[in-house]
Amino acid sequence: MMDQLVRQYSRSPHQNEFYSEQEQHDLTEGLPPLSLKFSLPPVANHSAFLRAMTDDHSNPNCPIKLAHGTTTLAFRFQGGIIVCTDSRATAGSWIASQTVKKVIPVSRLSRGEDKPGSEPVPGLLGTMAGGAADCQYWLRYLSQQCTLHEIRHKRRITVAAASKILANLTYAYKGYGLSMGTMLAGVTPQEGPALYYIDSDGTRLPGNMFCVGSGQTFAYGVLDANYRYDLTEEEALELGRRSILAAMHRDAYSGGFINLYHVKEEGWVHHGFNDMNPIFWKTKLEKGEFSNVTSEL
Amino acid sequence: MSSPFDINGGACVAMVGKDCVAIACDLRLGMQALTVSNNFPKIFNFAPGTYLGLTGLATDVSTVSDLFRYKVNMYRLREERHIAPQTLANLVSSSLYERRFGPYFVSPVIAGINNTTGKPFICGFDSIGCIDFAKDFIVSGTASDQLFGTCEGLWEPDLSPENLFETISQALLSAVDRDALSGWGAQVYIIEKDKVTQRLLKGRQD
Amino acid sequence: MEVLLGITGKDFVILAASKAAMRGPTILKAEDDKTKQLNEHTLMAFSGEAGDTVQFAEYIQANVQLYTMRNDTELSPNAVANFVRGELARSLRSRNPYTVNLLLGGMDKISQKPHLYWIDYLASLAPVPYAAHGYAQYYCLSTLDKHHHPDITLEQGMKLLEMCTDELKRRLPIDYKGVLVKVVTKDGVREEPFDNNRIVKSA
Repeated sequence: MMDQLVRQYSRSPHQNEFYSEQEQHDLTEGLPPLSLKFSLPPVANHSAFLRAMTDDHSNPNCPIKLAHGTTTLAFRFQGGIIVCTDSRATAGSWIASQTVKKVIPVSRLSRGEDKPGSEPVPGLLGTMAGGAADCQYWLRYLSQQCTLHEIRHKRRITVAAASKILANLTYAYKGYGLSMGTMLAGVTPQEGPALYYIDSDGTRLPGNMFCVGSGQTFAYGVLDANYRYDLTEEEALELGRRSILAAMHRDAYSGGFINLYHVKEEGWVHHGFNDMNPIFWKTKLEKGEFSNVTSEL
Repeated sequence: MSSPFDINGGACVAMVGKDCVAIACDLRLGMQALTVSNNFPKIFNFAPGTYLGLTGLATDVSTVSDLFRYKVNMYRLREERHIAPQTLANLVSSSLYERRFGPYFVSPVIAGINNTTGKPFICGFDSIGCIDFAKDFIVSGTASDQLFGTCEGLWEPDLSPENLFETISQALLSAVDRDALSGWGAQVYIIEKDKVTQRLLKGRQD
Repeated sequence: MEVLLGITGKDFVILAASKAAMRGPTILKAEDDKTKQLNEHTLMAFSGEAGDTVQFAEYIQANVQLYTMRNDTELSPNAVANFVRGELARSLRSRNPYTVNLLLGGMDKISQKPHLYWIDYLASLAPVPYAAHGYAQYYCLSTLDKHHHPDITLEQGMKLLEMCTDELKRRLPIDYKGVLVKVVTKDGVREEPFDNNRIVKSA
């Protein structure tokens, strides 16, 4: 007995540091499992059960409150793609967080740190709307698949392929209560600047401009009226920022900080995570916009 | 989310200080997630130094404030004097109870200084007229949970008018910043014996 | 999917209402007028439950006109707005309430200032510089937030309205058959020509 214990704890500490030949093969050559193993509630109809537990719209007293409510936007222009989001997470009318990062770098897991204004980081960007956990988990899963693709094929995955992995995944789980509306943006040598919309219904659409979330219509209102493909980089960044600001102002479930990214050929550049409030008052007082807001008695 | 109290959003708070009271409200009028107006004050004046705050369903905020304007005007004409906050409290209570089986969806708050005694007075109500007398503070609206927290944390006895203004402003702003349905600016009234100061707070606009 | 829009400016109020009268999947009429003039300087646009809308609007119109005749003077826009709100609030707690959303625009004869009031079917009343009802709120308010100023001219106001209808043409899934535009100025109410046939291409 004692011998056995000693043996068990006296292995070389680095014995399992490297993957075995077989494990390496499985990881890189095997197909990614489309249906991962999730335990499901022991009831006849899981999706109805899940909805009863988590849908705070139809039942405000539901026991599990998921983080909801968002405005995210992305659009293509002559200089690449602008990706911009708010940062609010709400559970019912409770503001659970004002500092959510709703832009998730996809692929190159280790290089996803935020360093505003630093060198462009290669890889795709994903945005997050709907269930926060769903988006975070599945975009992380997508990062894994994209990295594996890079190792397997010695080149970066296209946005089309990456978005297809995600769309197939959401389609496989259709009806199970996933809630996500996401955009994938990236620039690849094969495609140039590419933008895709993927949601939990299994929809996958390539396009020039998408706004997703509860504040989408407000963002569209500003974006549509001022969008041109030949926007300069400066103008495009400002338009993204202003569109999100409009949505934060009018939509109760959007707000917090403006998170702004620019995707170009060399990779994505982060243009700051800035509190909306000083930006709002600057816009109002300097440009005379938001004339509905009272600033004096 | 479909409770009549949560459709339009809004928050109100009243606090007692040393020989002064304060009452503050936010300015939002919404329809669920959509903000319709940022200029919807929820505090109404009924006599010098007597204020009524109303949160809840916006239509009832207007209906109830109009109703009390009528009733208080009639009171003043009959009695030839201003209504005292205590009297207003009883009027509010019995008027709300008259609608026991089809209530106005409002949570009123009263703040004032009694003109004869010079004593500060605050109280709150539920929608059918139960009076909640308090010595410290009264909260109401969609951010009431948050307001309880901020008021418990910030309020202390015998605050001066200046400190009371700081306290009530911080309590309201911090509370509405954690509530999606209220905020978008705020109004504060500091009521002293012979002076009322009204201030506008530029809150977060998201 | 009815569209109501209202914009105030320096010395005018624009009210625009979609021209489609819809019942179920059918457009019954493509030249519908969803506005009523209440007195010389106030105009009301309405949308909501079929039947309720016109009944309520005519009831209001008749009573405001009666007031004008009896007293030989006009109610100010603010007074009209509070009267309308009161009537709608009274109906709200009756056996069958009117389900009507309203925009009320007018010029105050005394102050010569334009006024616009937003009233929903619950009788919530809010004075606003610009307003919309229905889905138009979600698409147009952000546009108006950005481009509206209190002292715009009528010409700029019409341009702004065009930006709003352009956005609706782009993003609303159904055809609302264009808008009928009316303007209130110190000289009264008039219909304003508006080009509804512009083709808007999506970005």
